Amino acid sequence: MAGPERTTKKLAQRIDLTYFKRPHPFRTWRFWLSVAAPLVAILWIAWYGVAGSNRVYSGGKMSRAHAVLAAKCDACHLRQTGSFSAKASDQACLACHDGPIHHANQAFTPNCSSCHEEHQGRMRLAATADVSCTQCHANLRTTGEPTHYVRDIENFGAGHPEFAALRPGAVDPGTIKLNHAVHMKKNLKGPNGEPVQMDCDDCHRPPTSTQPLRFGSATGMPVLIAQKSDLPIAISARAYMAPVTYAKHCVACHGLQFDKRFTESVPHDTPQVIHTFLVQRFQQYIATHPAELRELGPDRTLPQKPLPVALRVLTPDQWVAERVSESEELLWRKTCKQCHALSIPADGALPTVAKSNITARWMPHADFNHERHELLKCTECHAGALTSHETADILLPGIATCEKCHHSGSDGAEARCFECHTYHDWTKQKEVKGRLTLSGIGRGE
Amino acid sequence: MRIDNTHKKWFAASLIIFGVATAVYVPYAAHSPSGPRGGSAIGLTFGTVGSAFMVFAGLLAARKKVPVWRLGRAQSWMRGHLWLGLLSLPIIFFHAGFKFGGPLTSVLMVLVIIVVASGVFGAALQHYLPRVMTAQAPGETIFEQIDHVREQLAAEADHLVQSATGAAEPAREEGRGGLSLAVQSEVALDEKLAPLRNFYELEVRPFLQSGGKGQLLLSDSDRARAAFEGLRTLLPTGAQETGKRLEAICEEERQLHRESRIHYWLHGWLMMHIPLSFALLLLGCVHAITALRY
Repeated sequence: MAGPERTTKKLAQRIDLTYFKRPHPFRTWRFWLSVAAPLVAILWIAWYGVAGSNRVYSGGKMSRAHAVLAAKCDACHLRQTGSFSAKASDQACLACHDGPIHHANQAFTPNCSSCHEEHQGRMRLAATADVSCTQCHANLRTTGEPTHYVRDIENFGAGHPEFAALRPGAVDPGTIKLNHAVHMKKNLKGPNGEPVQMDCDDCHRPPTSTQPLRFGSATGMPVLIAQKSDLPIAISARAYMAPVTYAKHCVACHGLQFDKRFTESVPHDTPQVIHTFLVQRFQQYIATHPAELRELGPDRTLPQKPLPVALRVLTPDQWVAERVSESEELLWRKTCKQCHALSIPADGALPTVAKSNITARWMPHADFNHERHELLKCTECHAGALTSHETADILLPGIATCEKCHHSGSDGAEARCFECHTYHDWTKQKEVKGRLTLSGIGRGE
Repeated sequence: MRIDNTHKKWFAASLIIFGVATAVYVPYAAHSPSGPRGGSAIGLTFGTVGSAFMVFAGLLAARKKVPVWRLGRAQSWMRGHLWLGLLSLPIIFFHAGFKFGGPLTSVLMVLVIIVVASGVFGAALQHYLPRVMTAQAPGETIFEQIDHVREQLAAEADHLVQSATGAAEPAREEGRGGLSLAVQSEVALDEKLAPLRNFYELEVRPFLQSGGKGQLLLSDSDRARAAFEGLRTLLPTGAQETGKRLEAICEEERQLHRESRIHYWLHGWLMMHIPLSFALLLLGCVHAITALRY
């Protein structure tokens, strides 16, 4: 197509040479938008400043525990006089919380915020990442004497040793003889002689259980684990099982009868108390049954050799002494010995009963909560209970049992260190005096 | 700017920087007790580097405003703007630990994403569209002068058609028997050029005055060619040249329209990119000061 003649000169002559003095609307819009955008940004920041709020500078939502302080930045970000910085320091944390040291021999003490990082959203501050722990425990170094703890733990699934109570050579230090297998067998003789089948919770229950024991006694106060250990922190009353006590769990089947004359049992107490009880009891008895001071001797008549019947007349003291001796012989050498480790001196003195040494809490460095695990049958974790014959058997589940549920991955229960372990040694907790007011945190008038 | 072999060194350097940054970030993120944080030493380093990249990218505007600045060639600045600006996005993500954080930091993250994304989009357009422009609008003129050139084309077309049709006004002579022979021939010529005038009035002038808006007959090259071919069959030999020149003017108008459209694509993204980048730099300064404080 032949077009109109367009020489370069003619093309150039079409142009208004002053065009650049009049900005095109496109450029004008671009200029004013470039002014407006930063202006809007400044106004946005200034609006917060006028409102007296620093929340625009927040690094993120506060944790659940500190959400109430979201509007009170200076509750944690304290600015020292003359200093520009207003970082949240450990002093700010310690003003409201005590954070006892973990261990006297630790090589260094991390800052509060290195493990408990705020402004990460609505999360539990105590739910720290494993790396908070493994920054030491992956290559454990201590001050002072060498540690007996494992030195290279990466996480629960990598490097975590078997629980200390189950390591080779570990035995149950308890001296009470208990055969779990016998107690769990079918057709066990019950309190009234009837055949029974025992279950785990006939003996093992949390202290606050209100269900009546099938074969137990209503008497006997429950003993909380916390009372028997030196852990001052509040533990769920259903976290641990109450210690098994004779008075509550055993007395119904294991009576302490001592003489056919009496239906009552001796008190479950020290040999001295039992001895005193026996003496008093028999003294009371013979005082009301003096006829028994005259005893016919045992009939040793043989068919072709009749012998005269021996007649013994005892004084009350003699009679009491003989009966006490017989009863103690029964008790020390059979009844008590069935469960207790006794050492009976040759000189006839009262025996010494070994301390029961029942372990109230097997893992003093870890927390466990039975209540959280009550969906499972007892024997799923304590698999050895049904077949254990020896007191020395430790019936705790090993780490492999725990790892069946507690492992990393989307299908595992929580397996991070904090689930079982606590960094702070709460036995050394100090009281903190609160300093904030409701109005000070914007919650009051 | 075309992204060609001259960008190789910048590409290689950017790749190396990104690789080093990633190699530093991954173990840092894995071993940080509470995850990667902007306030940690490494986080602050990433933040500083990312901010430096963004500031350099922003200085391109100043460099363009002062072309006599002898601080490197304009092409080098442009390449630096492209590659360091692109790098700033992953570096800032490493700084933030891939978290958005609070109100100010969330706005900053959104801004940096939009600015970099629009920049990448614009770079892609600037790479491909100039060739399209050359192919589709060889008669390209200065964008700001398109309207002015359009006016000149319309005036030229008017003059062309008037020259061909409007000069011969039939003069009526009163007399015995009717019109004179000269007048009669002029009337006959006028009637032969009526298609030209009609076509011009109905199609060409509205098209030239439309400024490229609307879907008119002559907006499409093929339909316009067919229309002008049809017109030429109706025109006398003397008017054929006028028809051809009108067709050429219409083609120029279409090229101006294409040029305008391509220009808006080439530069329209800057309406978002530049204002938001200024806001980003300003808020980035605010963030740097307050984050260091708190």
